[in-house]
Amino acid sequence: MNILEELAQITRTRPEMLKEQREKGIKTVGYIGRFVPEELIHASGALPYLLCRGGQPDPLEVVIPYMLRVMSPYSRSQIGYHLLGIDPVIPMLDLIVAQCSTCHESRLADLFEYFKLPTVRLGVPPDWEKSLSRVYYQKRLTWLREKLEDLTGNNITDEKLKGSIESMNKIRDLLRKINLLRRKQPPALGGYDFIRLNHYSFYCDLEKLPPKLNDLYEQLQKEKRNFPIGAPRILLAGHVVSVGDYVVPKLIEDSGGVIVGEFLDEGIRQYPWDVKIDGDLMANLVDTYYVERTPPSIFQPAWEERVRYLKKLIRDCNIDGVIWYELSFEEIYNMEGYIISKAMEEMNIPLLKLESSYEYAREAMGPLTTRVESFIESIKQ
Amino acid sequence: MKMAKDVYEDFLRLTGFEEDEMSEYLPEWRKASEKLGLTKDDITFATEKQLPTYFDLEFEGVRKSIGCFVKEIIDLTKASEYKERGVKIVYGILPAILHYYYALKLTAPDKVFVSFPDIFLALVLNLFFHKLNPFLEEAERTGISYGCRHCALNKTRYASRKLGIIPPPDISWIWGFICDEGPKTDEFIRIFHDPEWKTYITRLPHDQPLDTVEDEVLWRVEYLASQMRDGFEFVQKEIGIEVPDEKILEAQEIWERYGAKLAELNELMTADPQPISAVSVRLFPEPMGAPFNTGIEFMENALDITIRELKQRVANHEGILPEGAPQLMVYMIPPNTPWLIKMFEENGVGLTFNSTMTLSKKQLEPPTFEDPYMAAAEAWLRGATAGNPGYEAEQTCEKLETCGADGMIFGLFDFDRWLGSSHRLLAKMIEEKTGLPVFYIEGDIWEDRDYSPEALRTRIESICEIVKMRKA
Repeated sequence: MNILEELAQITRTRPEMLKEQREKGIKTVGYIGRFVPEELIHASGALPYLLCRGGQPDPLEVVIPYMLRVMSPYSRSQIGYHLLGIDPVIPMLDLIVAQCSTCHESRLADLFEYFKLPTVRLGVPPDWEKSLSRVYYQKRLTWLREKLEDLTGNNITDEKLKGSIESMNKIRDLLRKINLLRRKQPPALGGYDFIRLNHYSFYCDLEKLPPKLNDLYEQLQKEKRNFPIGAPRILLAGHVVSVGDYVVPKLIEDSGGVIVGEFLDEGIRQYPWDVKIDGDLMANLVDTYYVERTPPSIFQPAWEERVRYLKKLIRDCNIDGVIWYELSFEEIYNMEGYIISKAMEEMNIPLLKLESSYEYAREAMGPLTTRVESFIESIKQ
Repeated sequence: MKMAKDVYEDFLRLTGFEEDEMSEYLPEWRKASEKLGLTKDDITFATEKQLPTYFDLEFEGVRKSIGCFVKEIIDLTKASEYKERGVKIVYGILPAILHYYYALKLTAPDKVFVSFPDIFLALVLNLFFHKLNPFLEEAERTGISYGCRHCALNKTRYASRKLGIIPPPDISWIWGFICDEGPKTDEFIRIFHDPEWKTYITRLPHDQPLDTVEDEVLWRVEYLASQMRDGFEFVQKEIGIEVPDEKILEAQEIWERYGAKLAELNELMTADPQPISAVSVRLFPEPMGAPFNTGIEFMENALDITIRELKQRVANHEGILPEGAPQLMVYMIPPNTPWLIKMFEENGVGLTFNSTMTLSKKQLEPPTFEDPYMAAAEAWLRGATAGNPGYEAEQTCEKLETCGADGMIFGLFDFDRWLGSSHRLLAKMIEEKTGLPVFYIEGDIWEDRDYSPEALRTRIESICEIVKMRKA
């Protein structure tokens, strides 16, 4: 697992690296959300930086004077660390691309602007089955492409974009392969490590990452499994496990379960879907990012298709139980939780719903641990 | 006023029903009350306590405005019967462009039933009877949880279907111009409870930078117009009723005429002393927000009477507050927590102006476009509530100046992740720009289970003291 540690170290030192690159004139572009194609940022010659921190309560509190109390902890975190003065990256970003598909994301973009951070918004219409909406997203991507060209002074040629897409496809392919190793009994890698691997992959240079992933893949094929045969196989579902929000995945695996699949909208690469490299590349980005991937919960309609996908994951990954990880006050996921719960009941798959506002103080950990341990224990029996 | 022994009859008389209407409406009101779960005690409570406490019932226009909502709720409880008779049922949710719903009614009055059921149910049940809780609790028990602070309107819509108060629509044209939860609730209803709940959604991403004058961004106006055109074509096809453009324009004219009268009412409210409680005129803006299947004419008549009565009161220098009392603008005058308005008034401050229902100068300008969809899209974007907070703050500053308000109250929208989520930011922006005192109150305009009078009294009293000291 040294490779994972190496990637963790790269992630930790990423801010210093960005600072060095910035001094050399390389632009850094922060971005939020799965609809912002990293490919475009790479192709512009800028360095992408995913804004996806979470897992601590203090950054949420500091946002309250500017935002409704009952907003998503994840969204509040993205500006909260900055307002606390403990985010090393946000102050040096040349641009923030904020995906606007939900109210939470749009209000976050408002705050970025209010605090004079260089922000552009990528509108994502949730009524995704309409051609009008698809065209809207495509036009916004074209507009983003121009913004990135203006920022960097570089043309995003088709050649550069194609190269960037190929690199990203390579990363997706390697993550797919690594993920497949989790289907074995016992799995080669748990969810705590796989989620972190995904996170680290956002902060590693495009050239350095594929060899590391490849090495990890080969190593995992040979390595002795860490998990006992028969450990309950868990699927972790919900909106997002943010960078740093590892308490719940770790707790699940410390309690004797193993996370062998995720169904998360954000903070994880949508690695099952590649972007095509022939034809109109911008249209290809739209196809993959907006149309082909499983719709996020905010899209409409989405929930029936999401349940179908979840059921497929349960079958493919041989899942014993599902943990629905919900962030407080995320109203859409809260409703979806009931739909998932009903579907799981029909499938006779045990489901545990956990709600978090990133409060992991000792007082909160006791009941949380008991619930997770009891759930894992009940599955074992 | 002649009072009968029958509580149902007393209620109808109190709410402005004419003698010649009683034989038609009394049996229907009994039936509707039963369907809504209203007991004799509830009707008595409304007649003897709730309405007299909060409404200036000596005004005929005010009584009639309440009666219009009673007529509408009676009509809503008959929606299943309409459906059985082959009338097409079209729902929507707040906020929406109403011209299309009114145009449907103008085109085929007997073939289509239009309603935003949740708004009428929530208003009537809580404002008149303080009895929305059974609906909210039903929704909370079965999928739309209490703890997540969901919107009472969405809960009401879901519960009213679940309890069989309303039938599934032939089409629910839902608008996601503001929040995400509204449209997603319809998806929830369809999947979780009623597969026949058919929906068409119209959405607009919130993706414009602060300070963008969104109605002047042509591509945005065009996009919204196309969304509306597609939506309305879908609705017409779905229910088999074709609406000519002239009917949309006719609906728009009616709407504008009503809007002009509403502006006159607002103007009368600026009189010193304030002539009437804001609670008493709170229902009048509603036809601009939700379509009346029974028609806008009843409300227009009530509005005409109220304006006439208020003119007289202003001429007599009569009012509910002392002369020179501070008057505040509130983001939206809370419809279902009348005690909150009264609490301000009892502390010598008028919660007088409704920001969302006060038209800006831009909104009063004629449309730039002849095409009804472009005109409607432009009108919507001029409103700014769905847009960026920079533009909204600018427009609110203008409204504060026009009304001569002494300050502003934000908040009371903690259930709304769009409207409510910008209020703290708007408060800061507006206070910075105007120097007026701007306050934020956490609360809920639709229900008061979490924010009771006791919980908010200290906050309100403090605000009133500050405002009075600032004005002195």
